[in-house]
Amino acid sequence: MSQVRSDYQRTLMAELNALCQHTLKSLVIVNNGRYGAGAGMILHQDGSIVTNHHVVRKSSLRISTMNGNEYSAEIVAREKKHDLTLLKIETGEELVPAPLADSRKLRVGQFAFAVGHPWGQIGSFTAGIISSLGSLPLRWRKGAVDVIRTDARLAPGNSGGPLLDARGRVIGINTMIMGGDLGVAIPIHVVNDFVGRKMDQDNAQNVN
Amino acid sequence: MTSTENNQGLSALSDAMADAVEKASAGTVLIKARRRFPASGIVCAPDLVLTASHVVERDEDIPVLLPDGKKVKATLLGRDPGSDIAVIRTESLLPAVIEPAGAGARVGQLVLALGRPTEEGIQASLGVVSSISGPVHTRRGGVLEGHIRTDAIPYPGFSGGPLIDISGQMLGMNTSGLTRGASIAIPVKLGLKVADALVKHGSVRRGYLGVRSQPVEIPMKQQEDLSRQQAAGLLIVGVESDSPAGEAGLMVGDILTGFAGEPVAEPDDLFTSLAGEVVGEQVALEILRAGHRQEIKVTIGERK
Repeated sequence: MSQVRSDYQRTLMAELNALCQHTLKSLVIVNNGRYGAGAGMILHQDGSIVTNHHVVRKSSLRISTMNGNEYSAEIVAREKKHDLTLLKIETGEELVPAPLADSRKLRVGQFAFAVGHPWGQIGSFTAGIISSLGSLPLRWRKGAVDVIRTDARLAPGNSGGPLLDARGRVIGINTMIMGGDLGVAIPIHVVNDFVGRKMDQDNAQNVN
Repeated sequence: MTSTENNQGLSALSDAMADAVEKASAGTVLIKARRRFPASGIVCAPDLVLTASHVVERDEDIPVLLPDGKKVKATLLGRDPGSDIAVIRTESLLPAVIEPAGAGARVGQLVLALGRPTEEGIQASLGVVSSISGPVHTRRGGVLEGHIRTDAIPYPGFSGGPLIDISGQMLGMNTSGLTRGASIAIPVKLGLKVADALVKHGSVRRGYLGVRSQPVEIPMKQQEDLSRQQAAGLLIVGVESDSPAGEAGLMVGDILTGFAGEPVAEPDDLFTSLAGEVVGEQVALEILRAGHRQEIKVTIGERK
């Protein structure tokens, strides 16, 4: 019995470690000059990166990968409503996009791991669960956005970084830190829709 | 496929926690009985909901929102502000009852705090049991026989909601109404015991003995007479006339050392003994009189 239990514990620890190590490959630092650093996530091998709208200042936009390389980034699309920005970098290195989960099938109580740069601590992990699933009314206009709330500790610098499930798949983009103990993430299906809208626009332009 | 997608331990634990939340959420309801933010309640019998006394500010027409979105009305059956527990009865039967855990909480155990303070759905936070403590004086003037502290975040409106283990069984009821700032959980056994008394009598009846006492050391020689190691007892410094203690012949100068077979070494022990279902019962008090052990039978009265 105790053998089974210690094997299980070893497995659990090894899996947690693998999850952390693997996720760091898809994490980037969004440098925005004097405002400090936000986080971002590699979405595609072509250099597509998603982050929060509010961490991106247009001037001096630089992206660092966790290898320590720095690149200048171009803004591809931004949406204040969902607090999302799509960036692109041109690199010689091989980028590892993060695997994505289906965030329409999330459950309250399942593990949620946040990775980012809270208070400038590069590549920090925090663990928690999905505390609730719901929507948040928009501040400046009518309507609401789907959100994931988590009890994983988030701090400034987590913004734009991924929230992951127990399999290391991205379930959302960490967006808001409320009162120190409630984090809000934009579900990844909302991010996909945002990227999809941009691609539809591009296609429409090509047809015309 | 990535190296982490087929992990089994971590995702199994994750699924187990989500299952636990789902199971217990079926018996966790929203209660709107105060002007501020709504709070939570625990379905403990098909028409009974256990909640925190401090979130119930009215006695009738209490709106209760069920997990499936249905609304029912409930009436207050009784409350015990001392332990911050109230029981309300719903007009119609409720679909799911929360299952109490067989064993008590253990320090270090993974726990989930649940609440349903909004119509959006269940809310949860994860933590571990930080400590389990003995009797505490609550700021509402009661004494709680025990309580559980956790590091799970108590979100607004979690009072009255369950604290569960990862199999979805209830370990306690969350409340932030007893201790300043911190949120604790009342152990499920104690919670259900109080609830039972509230259903039967509408209030928790506390026993009345009619003595004033102060803790004293028991000399070694007299400890031998008790045939157990007990370093302290309660010296009786006053006996009220027409009280159960007076009628039973308890006298100033006696040292009270036991109550119904349980040792009494400090005032909280006596308080805890009198908090149980003892009103009207005949109980054997163990005393030291003139240095010798004696037993005195007393019929416990009710403290008004």
